[in-house]
Amino acid sequence: MPDTDLDLLRGTLDLLILKTLSWGPMHGLAVLRWIEQVTEQRLQITEGALYPALHRMEQKGWLGAEWGYSDRNREAKFYKLTAAGRRQLTAELSKWSRYTEAVNLLIAAQGAR
Amino acid sequence: MSNGREGKRPRLFRLPTSRRRLRGDIDRELRFHIEGRIEELIASGLTREQAEREVTLRFGDVSVVRNQLEEIDTRTHRRHELGEWRNALARDFTQALRGLVHRRAFAGIVVLTLGLGIGATTAIYALLDAVVLRPLPYPNAARLVYIEHPVPGVETNAKWRMSQAGYFFFRRNSSALEDIALYNKGEASLVTPDAAERVRAADVSGNFFEVVGARPFLGRSFTDADNRPNAAPVAMLGYAFWRQRFNGDSRVVGTSVSLGSVPVTIIGVAPPTLDLPDYQAQVWLPLELDPNAPAINSHYLDAIGRLRPGVTVAAAQADAARLTSRLPEAFPVAYSPGFMRESRFGVLVSPLRNIVIGGMSRTLWILLGAVSIVMLIAFANVANLFLVRAEARRRETDIRLALGADRLHLASHYITESTLLSLIGGVLAVGLAYGAIRILLVLNPSSVPRLAELSLSWQAGVVALVLSLGAGTVLGLLPLTRLALRGDSVSSLREGGRTQTASRGQLGARSALVVAQMALAVVLLAAAGLMVRSFQRLRSVQPGFDASGVLTFEVSLPYSRYAPYVRGPAAYLPVFRYHRDLAQQLAALPGVTSVGMTQALALKDGDGCALVFVKGKSYTRENAPCVGNVIAGPGYFTTLGIPVRGRVPTWADVDDQTGAVVVSKALADHMWPGEDPIGKELRPNGSGAPWYHVVGVTGSVLTRGLDQPASEIVYYPMVPIEGAPLWSPPTHMTVAIRTRATDPLALAPAARRIVTTIDREVPVANVQTMQTIVERSTARTTFAMLLMAVAGGMALVLSAVGIYGVISYTVTQRRPEIGVRMALGAQAAQVGRMIVAQSLRVAAAGIAIGLVGAFATTRVLQSLLFGVSPTDPVTLGGVTLVLVMLGALAAYAPARRATKVDPVEVLRRE
Repeated sequence: MPDTDLDLLRGTLDLLILKTLSWGPMHGLAVLRWIEQVTEQRLQITEGALYPALHRMEQKGWLGAEWGYSDRNREAKFYKLTAAGRRQLTAELSKWSRYTEAVNLLIAAQGAR
Repeated sequence: MSNGREGKRPRLFRLPTSRRRLRGDIDRELRFHIEGRIEELIASGLTREQAEREVTLRFGDVSVVRNQLEEIDTRTHRRHELGEWRNALARDFTQALRGLVHRRAFAGIVVLTLGLGIGATTAIYALLDAVVLRPLPYPNAARLVYIEHPVPGVETNAKWRMSQAGYFFFRRNSSALEDIALYNKGEASLVTPDAAERVRAADVSGNFFEVVGARPFLGRSFTDADNRPNAAPVAMLGYAFWRQRFNGDSRVVGTSVSLGSVPVTIIGVAPPTLDLPDYQAQVWLPLELDPNAPAINSHYLDAIGRLRPGVTVAAAQADAARLTSRLPEAFPVAYSPGFMRESRFGVLVSPLRNIVIGGMSRTLWILLGAVSIVMLIAFANVANLFLVRAEARRRETDIRLALGADRLHLASHYITESTLLSLIGGVLAVGLAYGAIRILLVLNPSSVPRLAELSLSWQAGVVALVLSLGAGTVLGLLPLTRLALRGDSVSSLREGGRTQTASRGQLGARSALVVAQMALAVVLLAAAGLMVRSFQRLRSVQPGFDASGVLTFEVSLPYSRYAPYVRGPAAYLPVFRYHRDLAQQLAALPGVTSVGMTQALALKDGDGCALVFVKGKSYTRENAPCVGNVIAGPGYFTTLGIPVRGRVPTWADVDDQTGAVVVSKALADHMWPGEDPIGKELRPNGSGAPWYHVVGVTGSVLTRGLDQPASEIVYYPMVPIEGAPLWSPPTHMTVAIRTRATDPLALAPAARRIVTTIDREVPVANVQTMQTIVERSTARTTFAMLLMAVAGGMALVLSAVGIYGVISYTVTQRRPEIGVRMALGAQAAQVGRMIVAQSLRVAAAGIAIGLVGAFATTRVLQSLLFGVSPTDPVTLGGVTLVLVMLGALAAYAPARRATKVDPVEVLRRE
């Protein structure tokens, strides 16, 4: 497993999970795999952060949870976005882009000096 | 990539119901994750051991994550449960509401009945709360006591107030009381350029505000220096009076007004909430108190003491008793050992509140008991309705149960419905209570103290809420007792359908309710009947005068001009001349047949008490009887219609100081039993000549109350004879005018004009008819009687509805049986009699229990009754008769219906 250069920015985990689940219901392991795969292992998320985040978002009503069976026919807890979760995702996305824009502006300004 | 979507079997998501399940789910989820990871790594070529190590390393401490998750899920679970519960409640609520809209008649009757019952109770509770329960409106209320002197040697129940010397003595020496304040309820004349106005004044000691714990709203309050005999005259204004009369202008402080033709400086305004106990003062004035004055045995001051912190009333009583026993050594003349012995002069320290409330506390508790009984009767009616409805819904309930409805759910459904009804009833109750209080405030019964403080308090609101919630819960549980008792719903479904004669237990419960209702009604009607009879007795008492057609009002002559500081009869002449003029001018008014005046009008003012010495009897200061002494002008007896044997003193008698007096019959009987009192001689204040001589004897007169024995009174002339002075010139008198007019009050404006014409500075106050005064004197009995009668009437109507309901219901239930009886040859009349007999049996059971109850409880009314025994057979007999008739009447319509039963139709249906 390669070492990661990027520490996860605070608050972005929620965004990552919401975005991942926007593709359809998944269990925790699948969420983790998806994030690793898509980011080419650049973002490493620990289970110790993932599961509390999932349960907390379930409590907030952004995620719904159901027990189902995995492709290997094992019992697994599947999470999926609720309507509230979808709204939250939109909000997080726009927040994120505003944030990165601001950071980029600052970086660009520094370079011009 | 495997997102694990395939093969997913959707399942109804249910939150775990226990902590253990919560934990199990978390474990399963995490185990799945770890297993998945390990398999993944094995697939990529690691050995199982390597894979496990790798996963553990990455995951860290699993138990930490597990605890974290458990904490989150527990909270989620709790929140969810609450939401479920709220939803269920909302569902039950809408369902109940919809159901009730369907059964409008049922809902309406329940709401109205509960509203009446709870409303009456709430209103009386509000009254009790304002008058009795709430502390007096003083910051130091809990520590305030009233000090008075019982003198059983003078008169059994007589209590004297405090004397000036006693005040200084107690204030200096008491170890239990921090301080003592004095007050007097008084009146003063406020003179302005337009007219003179009589205002209610509070005369107080300088420390009064400090003792009760009040601060002036504006300016300063009094100090001890203001009480000194030659202090500059000052006054404070009552808050309400200041707002109304001076438009709340703060510049009034420091200005001067004319009080009784003396200029007085206003030094401040009292705070809004401050009043004398049950007396709304408009003007506050300092009492004149002189620590150096010689002690005299004159007890005219109301005294309030403030207990030291932690000192009980009992301890203060002991302390006061100790000080009282030392009075003779401190004041050997005023409180001589002989006086102390003969009068049995004592001291009584009691919480100030008890003094203010007086006997009203008991009356109000009794009334609260009465309305509570009304509420119980109302509740029994509603309970009966609910039982009928439970019966009607039996099939519905059974079907629900058979279909697997949860008993708990059914229970919550019933309770929601009944609570909704009872809460609507509670809202109605609060509205009714509010209305009742408004009416009471408008009627303003003079017998109720602290009425100014009456409002629908939040405490009364809480009482209404608790009562309605309690009623709702019990009513909701009623149908459930059936559910709980009977296990098998299917068998009852099978049996049910036609002959619903079952549920004997039900009918028994309903009859028991009606019996209880009847019993309570008997108790209440007995109480109401006793009050009504007392009231009748009281009003049929012959007071010894004729109150109809008499107008009365008070006039107060400015002390400075009408009570000159001269010795002897001359001091009394200005008052005498004024009243002679006034009487002459008033008598000239059209319709007036006679005019009189007195210092103490019968049933309105106290007769006072002064030692009387009789010529020929060896009375001394120690053993002379204390009798009423009243100054009365010529014409008083004629005007009030008091019959006098002998003659009545004339204006000439007074002017010439002939010393002619009239005595009351009771006094004559006491002093000269078996002798003719006319020509006898007596005098106040001294056992030697000169004497007054009796020229007339009145009939029996009741002046202290219609329920009191005939008064012993000497009627003295306005001007005393030389050498036998009275107390001081009677500057404050009540004038009585007898008129032929139907409404004596019509005479008031003309009378007022005459008073103003004679002296512009003389105010007229308390204009009222003698009839009103008589009514006021029985106000407490009237008040209790009226409320009792209302409660009794409600009880009667409610029980009538109750017994009618049950009998009517039985007829419906017994239709098949009646049909069979008639088919077998029973006559319609027989069937009718059977129904009436059933009703009478229920009534009789109720009446029997009720009579026992009445015998046991009407004793609490004793203090309110007059001339009737608490177990008056006529009253109890009357009540019995009324309720028996009620039982028969209530059965009339159902019995008629029973006789109309068609046996053929009934049998066919069977």
